[in-house]
Amino acid sequence: MSVTDQGLLHRDKDTMTLNMGPQHPSTHGVFRVILEMDGEVVQTAEPEIGYLHTGIEKTSENKRYGHVIPMTDRLDYLNPPGNNLAFCLTTEKLLGVEIPDRANVLRVIMCELSRIASHLVWLGTHALDIGAMTVFLYCWREREMILDLNEEISGVRMMTSYIRIGGVAKDATRPWLDGIRDFIEYFPAKVDEYERLLTKNPIWLDRTEGIGAFTREEAINWSFSGPALRASGVNWDIRKAQPYSGYDNYNFDVPVLNNGDIFDRYRVRVEEMRQSRIIIKQALERLPEGPYKTPDNKVSLPPRETLHTSMEALIHHFKLVSEGISVPVGETYVPIEGARGEVGFYIVSDGTNVPARVKLRAPSFMAIPGMCKMMEGCYIADVVGIIGSIDIVMGEVDR
Amino acid sequence: MTSEEIIEKVKAELADAIQGADLPQGDAVIFVAPDSWHAVAEFLKNDADLKFDYFSDVRGVDYLLEEREPRFESVYQLYSIDHQHSIRVRVGIDEENPSVPTVSDLWKGALYPEQELFDMFGINVDGHPTMERLIMPKDWEGFPLRKDYPLTTETVTFSYNRGFKSDLVKSKPPTR
Repeated sequence: MSVTDQGLLHRDKDTMTLNMGPQHPSTHGVFRVILEMDGEVVQTAEPEIGYLHTGIEKTSENKRYGHVIPMTDRLDYLNPPGNNLAFCLTTEKLLGVEIPDRANVLRVIMCELSRIASHLVWLGTHALDIGAMTVFLYCWREREMILDLNEEISGVRMMTSYIRIGGVAKDATRPWLDGIRDFIEYFPAKVDEYERLLTKNPIWLDRTEGIGAFTREEAINWSFSGPALRASGVNWDIRKAQPYSGYDNYNFDVPVLNNGDIFDRYRVRVEEMRQSRIIIKQALERLPEGPYKTPDNKVSLPPRETLHTSMEALIHHFKLVSEGISVPVGETYVPIEGARGEVGFYIVSDGTNVPARVKLRAPSFMAIPGMCKMMEGCYIADVVGIIGSIDIVMGEVDR
Repeated sequence: MTSEEIIEKVKAELADAIQGADLPQGDAVIFVAPDSWHAVAEFLKNDADLKFDYFSDVRGVDYLLEEREPRFESVYQLYSIDHQHSIRVRVGIDEENPSVPTVSDLWKGALYPEQELFDMFGINVDGHPTMERLIMPKDWEGFPLRKDYPLTTETVTFSYNRGFKSDLVKSKPPTR
């Protein structure tokens, strides 16, 4: 049967509807977009999400606070410590517990390592989408080192669940700290290497410069956050604006560029990797001695050796393991700067050991309508570049 | 502005429109009725001192188990990029015909989370351009994040179970 017989040429409009995804390698997960095409130019782009919906928010309402942490890993699966931290900070704000200095520094190290790992995945896959295979392999090589460090400290390579309510899961080990020292010595030359492959590459420039551009006002109005917002000339980094976990003690720059196109988003993220390395370096220098979790035994388990000598420690241990943490009645929200932008949990507590409502503010979810707006008027080949440059993770979009 | 100053300013300018204000853990929180929410939002966005130009998020909350009146709440988080301060607006919504006006005409970023509000809680957002399912399938029944929606359901295929209510076996309630 020919095309004419099927009636495909007798339509009442001149445009063609093209389905992209959900099983498309460049959508980084299961993201579907329905494109209305006029020749090669996108007229409208309609997003379709929900293919990865796992009901994590509903499940969280039926689990104890401590049990929610492993599920937060699975939301933004490229930046698990950021999600852990957002959840723990919000719970700790409701509980009103103070976090020891050493725990804060360990949290910062973990989050910044994971930011680098997340940006490496982004850079590798984004470059692969546009056609640069080598960068992908290089990025994976360095990411592997960070995953090995994760394994050393938490036993797990990706879903670390290292940050816990009241502190961190365990104290830093000597091999871990040495491994990080080696990594931050090794890493800057590698970032230069990625830049040598891409930043002045004429093909890369053709595919990225001036494409998918958003102005400052548009980016704010469409609720972009993180690197995508900073590439549009908005100097807003939550680590600087509302410092948490002692980020005000570190000296680092926030890269801000003005064009808002794919190329600027690329440059902002590459510079962020360098800045994260600087933060880790400072954190290692100032890593103080002391406890790695709060001494408040209503929140964190008492040390194992005290169980045999102290009745009170035994009671606390039993209550925490069998019942969990009871959080006072209230509701609050603490935003943090994740790898893709503003991450935060809105938690409502009814005074029990189970949260009444847990809602994730996911930067990828908020950016999707704006991203599809950005595609209008672009060539179909640039759709892939735009999706890659916003760096969406479907785990936190569908939740 | 600090949270106290924001609350004072909002109280002074919008005394009639807001139902109350609070400062839990140092956050600025105001309570607004659905009818006046759009006017309040417009003021919060356009006032030069407040200038909440960034729409951070909106979440629904179901207070069924607390037996609170009204049952639903939609909680808006707004942020000002220039002034670096934030505010939380809690809009109480009745159980009968739950609805709230859209603010997606002020902040485009509100389009998706407001659609999710309908998808998960069945709260109608008046004036929203696409009031349909977002994350759940188009033909899904019920609103999953409501408290009276069971955590898991199973379609029963055995004929002798047909007598059960709508062929659903509800999961045990969570242990508290």
